[in-house]
Amino acid sequence: MVAVLGGFLLIFLLFHMSANLLILLNDGGAAYSAFCNFMGKTIAIRVMEVVLFGALLLHAVVALWLAATNRMSRPVGYHKPQKSKTHTTSKLMMWSGILIFVCLIMHFYDFYMVKIGLVKGEYMVKTEKLQDEEMSGIMQLANQMQMTPSDLVAAMKEEMATMGGDDEEADNYIESITAKIKVMDIVNNAYTNGNISADKKWIHRLNAEEKAVIKEAFPDSDVEPDFYYMARKKFKVWHIVLGYLVFFAVLFVHLTHAFPSAFQTLGLNNYKYNRAIEICGKIYTWVVCLGFAVIPIVIFLSE
Amino acid sequence: MHFTLHIWRQENAHAKGHFEKYEIDNISPDCSFLEMLDQLNEQLVGDKIAHPVCFDNDCREGICGMCGLYINGRPHGNDDGVTTCQLHMRKFTDGDEIWIEPWRAKAFPVVRDLVVDRSAFDKIIQAGGYISVTTGGVPDANTIPIPKYVADQAMDAAECIGCGACVAACKNASAMLFVGAKVSHLGLLPQGQVEHLDRVRNMIVKMDELGFGGCTNTYACEAECPKQIKRQNIARLNREWIGQMFGRDRKN
Ligand code: SF4
Ligand code: FES
Repeated sequence: MVAVLGGFLLIFLLFHMSANLLILLNDGGAAYSAFCNFMGKTIAIRVMEVVLFGALLLHAVVALWLAATNRMSRPVGYHKPQKSKTHTTSKLMMWSGILIFVCLIMHFYDFYMVKIGLVKGEYMVKTEKLQDEEMSGIMQLANQMQMTPSDLVAAMKEEMATMGGDDEEADNYIESITAKIKVMDIVNNAYTNGNISADKKWIHRLNAEEKAVIKEAFPDSDVEPDFYYMARKKFKVWHIVLGYLVFFAVLFVHLTHAFPSAFQTLGLNNYKYNRAIEICGKIYTWVVCLGFAVIPIVIFLSE
Repeated sequence: MHFTLHIWRQENAHAKGHFEKYEIDNISPDCSFLEMLDQLNEQLVGDKIAHPVCFDNDCREGICGMCGLYINGRPHGNDDGVTTCQLHMRKFTDGDEIWIEPWRAKAFPVVRDLVVDRSAFDKIIQAGGYISVTTGGVPDANTIPIPKYVADQAMDAAECIGCGACVAACKNASAMLFVGAKVSHLGLLPQGQVEHLDRVRNMIVKMDELGFGGCTNTYACEAECPKQIKRQNIARLNREWIGQMFGRDRKN
């Protein structure tokens, strides 16, 4: 049970790690955002998400239960601590597992909770979703007059005021576009601050208010959490980087035992392949942990 | 050689035990651990100091599996591939303090001093560690239709003497190495193969019932087994436990 669920989690980790490496691409988040978007949209992935949580919890619960019953198998302990030559990592499984669980809570607070909307983070939106005729018309006008959209609207309002007439139609029109105008300002800002992905498909680093504004003007625009920039921002803070590195170190200890152990428990090994499994386990553990660790380190060290 | 011994003394199964400290002198480096204890007992009895220290033993040559003491944190003491009776005092240094404890496991209750009741192992054997029919005398090795490596593996597994060091060493007091060895040595050979899956099931169910722990792949058993039974026997046991869930074409 522990082994089967653990094996499933091992596969997930490898996947998660490879995806995360996309963050290191210096494309202003294009690839990673496209990936996150895909992950958020696909039904199968959402189902997997639930399965994954289930597997994680079950893995922990069953393992704890096993540890508890195993303790009961020796009610009176030894006076002298055990000196047998054994695999230390296997004796640490429960503690490393608990630590990993604690670290995961931190990890969820940082990222997952933003997704389900419990914690505020940064957001991103697809540029194509923000385009309609009105928008582009006003944009063009604003560009021609070399004004920001909001200035343009202000100017229009003023003009109308000086004209004096109470042209209700015009008033209503202006009313209806104010929300969009705000969005345009946001887009403009993004361009000037460079918060746009290399392929111009994504506008990044929106805060919660901007998210609300966009949602109002374009109800079906799908504003998503901006994991690319959230990661980049978090990994500039040294104690977060340190926290994650400790996390990966503990993970390393856990995985060192986990990989070959899963094979042993399922009986999927023999004299011939034991070496190979052990070597694969080492490679897997190093690749996954280094792969994860490289991300905060590189981001922290880059200017 | 001179040693300071701390020995677990316990009047009977229900009494509360404690460590007693004894000094012993004039020990030859060539004598075995049990001979050293004999010498101590003579001293205790002769000088009317205490009742002799009880410990299990029989063959004193590492083949019966009766002896077994937890010595300074290691079952069968500080040497690899030996039983307590084969452990020599030259493995210690003069003046050492030696802590001697009985096997500790829920399934192995202490009877007295260093003697534990290992009949749980017998019960596991009774649950399936046998072949139901008489298969005749020992056939010539080359008349059994199996490859040599299978015969070797069965023979290696058959080396298990049922001493219980694996249980004593395991942090979970698990008997998986013992059961794995028994299942392998019977199941790898044609005579035992017929009942193999039932045997796996019955022995494992019995093992759990008797209060042995589960295996978490720490391999302390493999490190301490005097007969160096390999962990692959546990993998085989696991594999066949899964196999018997699907492979037993029986109703009960
Ligand atoms: S497997 Fe080894 S340690 Fe366990 S009972 Fe058999 S001989 Fe003793
Ligand atoms: S007394 Fe027989 S194995 Fe030690």
